[in-house]
Amino acid sequence: MDRRLRILIVDDEKIVRESFHFWFQKSGHFSETAASGIEALEKMERVPFDLLFVDIRMPGMDGLQLLERLKMEYPDTMVVIITAYGTIETAVKAMRIGAADYLLKPFNPDQLNLVVEKILQQEKMAVECRYLRGRLDKAVRFDNIIGASQPMASIFALIPEVAASDASVLIVGETGTGKELIAKAIHAKSPRRSFPYVTINCGAIPDTLLESELFGHQKGAFTGADHARKGYLEVVHGGTLFLDEIGEISQKMQVDLLRVLEEKKVTRIGSCQPLDVDFRLISATRRDLEKRITENRFRRDFFYRINVIVMQIPPLRERKEDIPLLVDCFLTKYSQETNKWVDRISSDTMHLLQQYDWPGNVRELENAVERAVVLSRSRTLKQDDFSFLRTAPSMRVDKPSLKENEKAYIRKILEECEGNITRAAKVLEINRVTLHKKMKRFQLTDRGI
Amino acid sequence: MEEIKNGIGIIAIGQVPDVVPKIMAAHIGSFFQSAVSILEAIPMPVDAYNVHRRQYDAALILKVMADRFHAPIHKVIGVCDQDIFVPIFTHVLGEARQGGRYAVVSLFRLHNSLPADTPIESLYKRCVKVAIHEMGHLFDLRHCEDDRCLMHFSGSPLTLDRLPIQFCRYCYADFHSRRLL
Repeated sequence: MDRRLRILIVDDEKIVRESFHFWFQKSGHFSETAASGIEALEKMERVPFDLLFVDIRMPGMDGLQLLERLKMEYPDTMVVIITAYGTIETAVKAMRIGAADYLLKPFNPDQLNLVVEKILQQEKMAVECRYLRGRLDKAVRFDNIIGASQPMASIFALIPEVAASDASVLIVGETGTGKELIAKAIHAKSPRRSFPYVTINCGAIPDTLLESELFGHQKGAFTGADHARKGYLEVVHGGTLFLDEIGEISQKMQVDLLRVLEEKKVTRIGSCQPLDVDFRLISATRRDLEKRITENRFRRDFFYRINVIVMQIPPLRERKEDIPLLVDCFLTKYSQETNKWVDRISSDTMHLLQQYDWPGNVRELENAVERAVVLSRSRTLKQDDFSFLRTAPSMRVDKPSLKENEKAYIRKILEECEGNITRAAKVLEINRVTLHKKMKRFQLTDRGI
Repeated sequence: MEEIKNGIGIIAIGQVPDVVPKIMAAHIGSFFQSAVSILEAIPMPVDAYNVHRRQYDAALILKVMADRFHAPIHKVIGVCDQDIFVPIFTHVLGEARQGGRYAVVSLFRLHNSLPADTPIESLYKRCVKVAIHEMGHLFDLRHCEDDRCLMHFSGSPLTLDRLPIQFCRYCYADFHSRRLL
């Protein structure tokens, strides 16, 4: 047998459960049993069964109720209804709810075999369907960048065009939006792809060290320069240099880099010999560089040099339709990495994730899914698995907090009482000392401002 | 209590012609290359009879066999002339636990489904097929997808007739590897 099914038998009669179990053992399928609908749902939470045989008459949750729950929570799972007291009405009802088949106990051995064969065929088709869906997923991916939204589609369309040119690119986007992935994609599609791709996070390296890192130095150029060292501007020759957080570099470094970009020459620290360099510059920033120019924190000439092509990456909150795609991708990734059977997310949880603003963008979403997968005790991620998100202020859905309401109310009363603390305290039914404490805490004056 | 030191035991349960265990012994012995003993017949266990279904419960027959034939028995297969069942099925032609020690074959449907003028050898052939199939389960072989293999599932005598008395090469190899364990 090519494919072994995971089968769950749900029946309150032990001899029936055993009878099924022994039969499926002989057929080589993996089978487990559950004596009630509740036990079945508990087991479904742990193991993704392919096929369930569910008896209709059971104490507590009956078979049809269980079928409804299963079809709601696990729509892909095949369910065969079995009963010793079959009626046409129940058979029709079961099939309408979504049962794959309906068998009357006891059944002919060939009948059960046919049902299992039919399920195997359907399972085979489902596997093919999943494969094709996977192919489709690739269509909404671009070099590991995931997104089906309009803004992302525009970026995907722009990447090959940008890659073909040699112009400097400035990628602008909030932290965690995937600026580096875009830079890598541009390099990978550019004629420079067989040459080095070097990334430097300008925000993480002190200015003096950054100079040495970029330009290199001669032996003895400064204390500790025991040997000559090539800078990244030399190392990257022929390839692409990605300067992340370019908004953080000093004015002096901007001048030095501007000269390199214009002259295509680099001189190591402590050397007088300029060296020819040829690289493509891609920069990224989460800052508003034009604002920085007006604040005299960023040089206009350098800005014009690096932003020949600007790519604006939208934050995740502006492309929430991509969240299910991303969650699905991260769920698969971390289920495999952690070897845990966590392959589903409830619809209300997905709704919650789409409500959240994700200030840390895709990176925050990825970390949230990873954390939820690691800590989850069932195969379905639920709202509780993302309880850590609820404390975030952006989850308020535009409703003021109790603290804000209290502050606004005190301000209103103070205004109405024209700053008279005694009258305001009386209206608020608190004493003056408490009102003073609250005003101090909320930074309110007696005019309520 | 009866004991078999090794090999396979065959036992008639109820009213079974003497020749049937002998034919089964000859075929099983050569097929599995094992010593086969014919044990003293036992009556159909009354407790295994289900008055509602008017059939014998195969699981209870196996239990009676297990109570009667203890270790160091290797494998025991019984043959009866009554209709047998397991709770989920209308009937079974034979029954065995996967990797177990006891199996039972019923001649009832094998015989009843034969046309009147069919030679009795056809019944023996069917009986041997079911017996070897159930013995396969006792040696932990599972149902095979190959419909030219005796471990292929057959729920009726008609589908059984289409199967040869041989395992496919995979089941054969599987049987030998398990036997060596």
